[in-house]
Amino acid sequence: MAILDNFIKKVSSGEKKIVLPEGTDERILQAAVLLNEKNIAKPVLVGTPEEIEKSLVKSGIKRDIIEIVNINDSGLINEFAKLYQKQRPNVSEKIALRLLKKPLIFAGMMVASGKVDAMVAGAASTTADVIQAAALTVGYQKNVSSSSSFFIMEMPDGKIFFYADCAVNISPSSEILADIGVATAASYRKLMQDEPLVAFLSFSSKGSASHPDVDKVVRAVEIAKQRDPGTAYDGEFQVDTALSEAVARRKLKEPSRVAGRANILIFPDLDAGNIAYKITQYLAGAKAYGPVLQGFAKPVSDLSRGAKPEDIVAVAAITCLLS
Amino acid sequence: MEKSEIEKRVKEVVSRILGVDEDSIMPESRFVEDLGAESVQSLELVAAFEEEFGIEMEEQAALEVKTVGKAVEFISKYLK
Repeated sequence: MAILDNFIKKVSSGEKKIVLPEGTDERILQAAVLLNEKNIAKPVLVGTPEEIEKSLVKSGIKRDIIEIVNINDSGLINEFAKLYQKQRPNVSEKIALRLLKKPLIFAGMMVASGKVDAMVAGAASTTADVIQAAALTVGYQKNVSSSSSFFIMEMPDGKIFFYADCAVNISPSSEILADIGVATAASYRKLMQDEPLVAFLSFSSKGSASHPDVDKVVRAVEIAKQRDPGTAYDGEFQVDTALSEAVARRKLKEPSRVAGRANILIFPDLDAGNIAYKITQYLAGAKAYGPVLQGFAKPVSDLSRGAKPEDIVAVAAITCLLS
Repeated sequence: MEKSEIEKRVKEVVSRILGVDEDSIMPESRFVEDLGAESVQSLELVAAFEEEFGIEMEEQAALEVKTVGKAVEFISKYLK
């Protein structure tokens, strides 16, 4: 729990506002109370006030401690419809008004308009729905045009690695793989306040094998370097080349800033990423936090539908640090 | 409403939302693969069809419609 405690300590100013669009879910309400009590963030619930109030009473929570935004507030709806149409000109204001009836879209526009700093959703919605709402409202961050996710892996010796993408993109192209690398580097920088060293993984180290799958990773490294020249991206590397300086020295002809010292592992597809994070968790005894969504212009995080209030608080703390 | 009228209006909506030429839209055109829709745009297409025809569609089923022709059939069911 050390890294999570660190994150919570870092956001203990409680200044960030987080919108929670699933305001009638009891776990969300309990998490909102904890966010307030621990001074992590100011939670804002979105929905119909009568329904949220009914849920608050049912959960024994005082109404006055949590801000509620009425999804039917015509002033906000009209403001958001105009902004939506400005961002996505192919959509008329009438269509935007229709879309804004959806809590995820409404909450996304609260983030896009700057009324809150971030959104946390997914306790009662699918990951695909959360990603869709974020892409349509908040849009993508600089140098990135797709969403992805990362896991924070805390090893038993305290070392931290970021793994991506282990949850969203099944078979990413070179462009999307580059997006994953660039987005994870940005997430690492914000959360760890340290230099990201990004290794793009393969079954080959710098040309030791030839295959279209290797070419895909090589191309991804090139794209990532072009898009974000100030960050250390390298590969294609086998995972031992990425993690062990002794192996890197043996296998590589040229020096690499990343080889042997990588703190971010970018997997070539979801098979590799998902298997790797679970193997690290179960065989190496690492703690895995995530998946945390990334790639958006402002932070939007997804929750597991089985999330408990404490899990929601942890995700909210990470989300605050990403904003 | 006649099927030809529904088809005409569906093509107009698709052209507007996806920014593609109406003449390039065929009944067999797939929204993502042939017309270049991003998957996130499906929600906007559903909302645009609802607005155009004044209907409320079952969202999950509507999001599974992959071609223009199937969209015409799907919308027709709500106009009977």
